Amino acid sequence: MMLDNEILKIDGLSIAFGGLKAVDNLSFSIKENEIFGLIGPNGAGKTTVFNCITQFYKPNAGSLLFRDRKGEVQELTKHKVHDIIKLGLVRTFQNVELIRELSLIDNVLVGGHIDFKSTVFEQALKLPRAVKEEKALRIEAEDILRRLGIYERKDMIAFGQPYGILKKVEFARTLMSHPKLIILDEPAAGLNDVETLQLAQMIRQIRDEFQCSILLVEHDMRLVMDVCDRICAINFGQFLALGSAKEIQRNPAVQQAYLGNSEDEQHEKDSTVH
Amino acid sequence: MKKNHILKNPYVQFILFGLVLATLPIMAQTFPFIKSGYIITIGGTLIYAIAALGLNLLLGYSGLISLGTAGFMGLAAYISAYLTVDLGWPFLASMAVAVIIPTIIGILVGLVSLKIEGMYLAIATLAVSEVIRKTFEEFDFFTNGFSGKAAKFPSFFNISLDRATTYYLIVIVMVLVMILMYNMVNGQLGRALNAMRGSEAASQAMGVNLLKYRLIAFAFATAFAALSGVLYVHFVRYSYPSIWSLKLSLDFLAMIVIGGLRSIYGTVLGAFIIFAVPDLFLKQIPYFNQLSYMFNGILIILVIMFYPNGIVYLRYDIKKWWKKIFDRKGKVNHDAG
Repeated sequence: MMLDNEILKIDGLSIAFGGLKAVDNLSFSIKENEIFGLIGPNGAGKTTVFNCITQFYKPNAGSLLFRDRKGEVQELTKHKVHDIIKLGLVRTFQNVELIRELSLIDNVLVGGHIDFKSTVFEQALKLPRAVKEEKALRIEAEDILRRLGIYERKDMIAFGQPYGILKKVEFARTLMSHPKLIILDEPAAGLNDVETLQLAQMIRQIRDEFQCSILLVEHDMRLVMDVCDRICAINFGQFLALGSAKEIQRNPAVQQAYLGNSEDEQHEKDSTVH
Repeated sequence: MKKNHILKNPYVQFILFGLVLATLPIMAQTFPFIKSGYIITIGGTLIYAIAALGLNLLLGYSGLISLGTAGFMGLAAYISAYLTVDLGWPFLASMAVAVIIPTIIGILVGLVSLKIEGMYLAIATLAVSEVIRKTFEEFDFFTNGFSGKAAKFPSFFNISLDRATTYYLIVIVMVLVMILMYNMVNGQLGRALNAMRGSEAASQAMGVNLLKYRLIAFAFATAFAALSGVLYVHFVRYSYPSIWSLKLSLDFLAMIVIGGLRSIYGTVLGAFIIFAVPDLFLKQIPYFNQLSYMFNGILIILVIMFYPNGIVYLRYDIKKWWKKIFDRKGKVNHDAG
């Protein structure tokens, strides 16, 4: 069903809201250690695809196969939304969903939630296992913060930190869960040119250092073209094209979707129909 | 230097706090201006603080509102009074039952909380609380109706407590609850609850099972409320249906809003402001008895305007002012030197 080097395989994915087909028979697959871009004009259904993969929506049809941490192939639709992260699939949010009142390191530790085995009672009574787990995860979180270059800020409250820092904290939080695939929801939104360049660098760094694949759902074409190994373009929930950055840029269907038909072409099309 | 370090340990601070409170009965015997009646007021305040800590776990950390605290507290009070007085159960066994039954009902309410939120959850919990309160009025054989139910001071292991020793018991339980609360909110549970309040979607994406953690939050909130109900009925030694009304639930809400959301000491401070201050000071002023509602209202408005996270955050400002004064003094000395 799934090739050995594939991490995620989407096959015939469809979901409709009322009469609107938000995603229509979409198929593509992502390879291991690949940075994969999903692009499309506004309303193309990118976010819906995203939410189907992470099980925030349950698709009407199609299969979503994922190779989990143990190397076993899992059907994502059979898992609950809060169990997806346990398989090794984790996402970020467009508007950085951190907890404002907590310190940066505590925010990162939220990403280690699934690794806690001790019960609430063990935690309340501070039994040895709970203390040990907390300590080990804290060390790991500190290490991730150090690698992303924000260790000095670890004890600061998230509220009031610069946006770029918060983005890094969100990355750190996803890395706490030892992901196989990270899905980034428009990470360049709200960043300036310099920050976007740094983001591209960080995405590569994360892929290389933490050995995972990255699915980038993005509006910012420069970031996508710069960083992605392969790109899938969709429009009106349907597959348009798949290929390298250059291939996608040259693809007439993609150009049409983004720039619209020129008037001449429109006439031509109309005349051929008649 | 090392001594300073020990004092900064939060557990040491909790225990010291408890020891300071525990001096009250002795102080009442030594100093004539501290009346022995104060023990009832302060003890009652600490009992309320226990329930308020549970509500803070629910509202402050998890972002789930409940107007049912009084109902659960009252239910536990009546169960414990019934079991010890009418059935002659030992105190500890009746306490266990009186905590477990309301907690189970609380968990059932938690199940509902997955479907309804915010104002609707407040209304639903209020309804549960009022239904419970109505049973206090109607089930005479169990609650003795409007005439009120009497109970005795606790006794266990062949020790019968009196008012002062029950007060010590309350202080010990409250310090234990504070420590449990501290451990819970500063670990995985606290982070999960915080994440849930911040964003449901983000917390789910991080693997937080919403249902599980809402049930945990409701379970602890009702268990703490029930525990405080048991202590109440064995300390005050009576219970009337009218005590467990909406006003009490709103008082709990006022306590944590005024004292401090997500703050353990803030909750206790809030309990003192809402219960102890009117009782000890304001009621000395003529006509004020009827105006205590107004006092709470004005306080809530002021706190939300100036300290939206609660009056406990005043301490940071005091620290700042203190530093300013201190620095100025240092400067003067420096100039003189």
